[in-house]
Amino acid sequence: MTRIVAARPLFLLLGFLLLLVLWLSLALGPVSLPLGDTLRALARLIGLPVSGDGLGQAELIIGQIRLPRTLLGVATGGVLALAGVAMQGLFRNPLADPGLIGVSSGAALGAAIAIVFGASIGGLPEAFAPYLLSACAFAGGLLVTALVYRLGRHNGQTSVATMLLAGIALTALAGALIGLFTYLADDATLRTLTFWNLGSLNGASYPRLWPLLLITLLVACWLPRRVDALNALLLGESEARHLGFDVERLKVELILCTALGVGAAVAAAGMIGFIGLVVPHLLRLIVGPDHRVLLPASMFGGAILLLLADLVARMALAPAELPIGIVTALIGAPFFLYLLMRGRS
Amino acid sequence: MTARPLLIGLFTGLCLTATSLAAETLPKRWVSAGGSLSEWVVALGGESRLVGVDTTSLHPASLAALPKIGYQRQLAAEGILALKPDILLGSEEMGPPPVLQQLRAAGVRIETLSAKADEPTVQGNLLRLGELLGTPDQAKQVAEDFQSRIAAQAAWVKKAQATQAAPGVVLLVGHAGGNLLVAGQDTSGDWMIQRAGGRNLASHKGYKALSTEALTALDPQVVVLADRSLDGDAARAALTRQNPGLAATRGVRDGRVVILDPTLLVGGLGPRIPDGLASLSRAFYPSVQALNSEGRP
Repeated sequence: MTRIVAARPLFLLLGFLLLLVLWLSLALGPVSLPLGDTLRALARLIGLPVSGDGLGQAELIIGQIRLPRTLLGVATGGVLALAGVAMQGLFRNPLADPGLIGVSSGAALGAAIAIVFGASIGGLPEAFAPYLLSACAFAGGLLVTALVYRLGRHNGQTSVATMLLAGIALTALAGALIGLFTYLADDATLRTLTFWNLGSLNGASYPRLWPLLLITLLVACWLPRRVDALNALLLGESEARHLGFDVERLKVELILCTALGVGAAVAAAGMIGFIGLVVPHLLRLIVGPDHRVLLPASMFGGAILLLLADLVARMALAPAELPIGIVTALIGAPFFLYLLMRGRS
Repeated sequence: MTARPLLIGLFTGLCLTATSLAAETLPKRWVSAGGSLSEWVVALGGESRLVGVDTTSLHPASLAALPKIGYQRQLAAEGILALKPDILLGSEEMGPPPVLQQLRAAGVRIETLSAKADEPTVQGNLLRLGELLGTPDQAKQVAEDFQSRIAAQAAWVKKAQATQAAPGVVLLVGHAGGNLLVAGQDTSGDWMIQRAGGRNLASHKGYKALSTEALTALDPQVVVLADRSLDGDAARAALTRQNPGLAATRGVRDGRVVILDPTLLVGGLGPRIPDGLASLSRAFYPSVQALNSEGRP
């Protein structure tokens, strides 16, 4: 595959687009705020000495609703796309998706347990109760991924093919358990489960945000250090080993980054499909397979797509909201198809 | 030319001050996130104050014209703020909690009223709504009427059961005759069956899917069908078409399939409950003279 766009103009474009959607995400919403108020509220948020007369509502909406939501969108979109690159690199397959190693189904299982049985778990400290769902989803994702990794290991070697199959089997198993909990759930619980599976940035708040931001930062700093190894892995495992890369260690790092990143994203925003699969794939069509460009570009791309999707999600049906998973697929899938068809002709 | 608008403005300003003084603490712009709560607000004369409702608020039909805030457990803070509400009304299921916190921080009063399906809850909710709407006397009257109709219903059932044994009933919630869920113990459907004088044959808890065979084995004398997409004879026809096995039950064989509005089963007890109960009772005890809308036989 050849590169359509050179790296420098691409990053300029992506940077500009990200700034643009960041601004839109802070400035647009069902409540229409005058431009001046938005600017003043933002200035006050970053501590500039601006008068706050008559800003009460705007400051609250920007500071407590839109800003956490925007940050959540940037982090979730970015980390999901990074995890997608890591998985497509690990499996050397552009159709790989973070779900392959079981992190999504594990998180979904954890969430289903929390949603269906959460109310009946007694003795939880009051302060922890609101975070039960997130904690269970995160733990579920990590546990199932660890299991998949363990099953793929044999004689000190990690077989990617075995891991793939183990991931499929455990995903089916988790699906069955989720089905069982769905059967046991009542109507209201069922709807919560359904909505959770479609994801949402709604109700973002700072206490939920910090863990995700921290993990995203970690993953975003760690993965770029491994771009050369990822590039070598494109040639094949033994080739990468002969080039002097510690492939076993790379696998562990990729899996860990994916499990942590996707686990945290899913815990904070529910299941948001499509980003992890399509953003890296899409950018690969544009910039080619070099991870030095692909990895950071995907992070930008994921954040941009998710923020755009969130704008649609909050505006389209206002005052109600559309689950964001629906929008990411609605925007992403036709664009993806277009690129596929264009690449073919 | 300039004096007139000024005068008008001054006059309206005065009027506004006057009314706001009279009703200072009463919320003026209401958003309701609960089907039966919206119905009660309308019944208490507060329809003009509603500026938004959730997706379960389907009755009365005039509410369809209001902005929809989505599903009660998935509310969006900014969307609701855009309606500039003074108060958000809902049940304990309303959420998610961070959104409620954001709304509270924005100065919206959050009023949580229970959606539990029992009479004391309805009484308490009505009196509270009366206070908030500034119509406590009307609320008291409506609450008394509701209570007396429920009491009349109970008395009627007692009398009817003296002449005829309580029929065995199953209540099915379905979609175009298929995907049937059976109302078990501790459900709103079970409450309706009992208050209408029937015996719920289903012994499981909650709403569950039963096999046609298990349903046939229950052999209900009356089948209550709450179909989400069809009504009347179309719903009956779809039921027997989708579940031919049910034809072996007494209820279907004798043509005793009663249609129930499925919206009566969700979101607590609303003002349409007494009528719903009366029509179920009529089907359970066809030979006893029915209650009319005043609650008298």
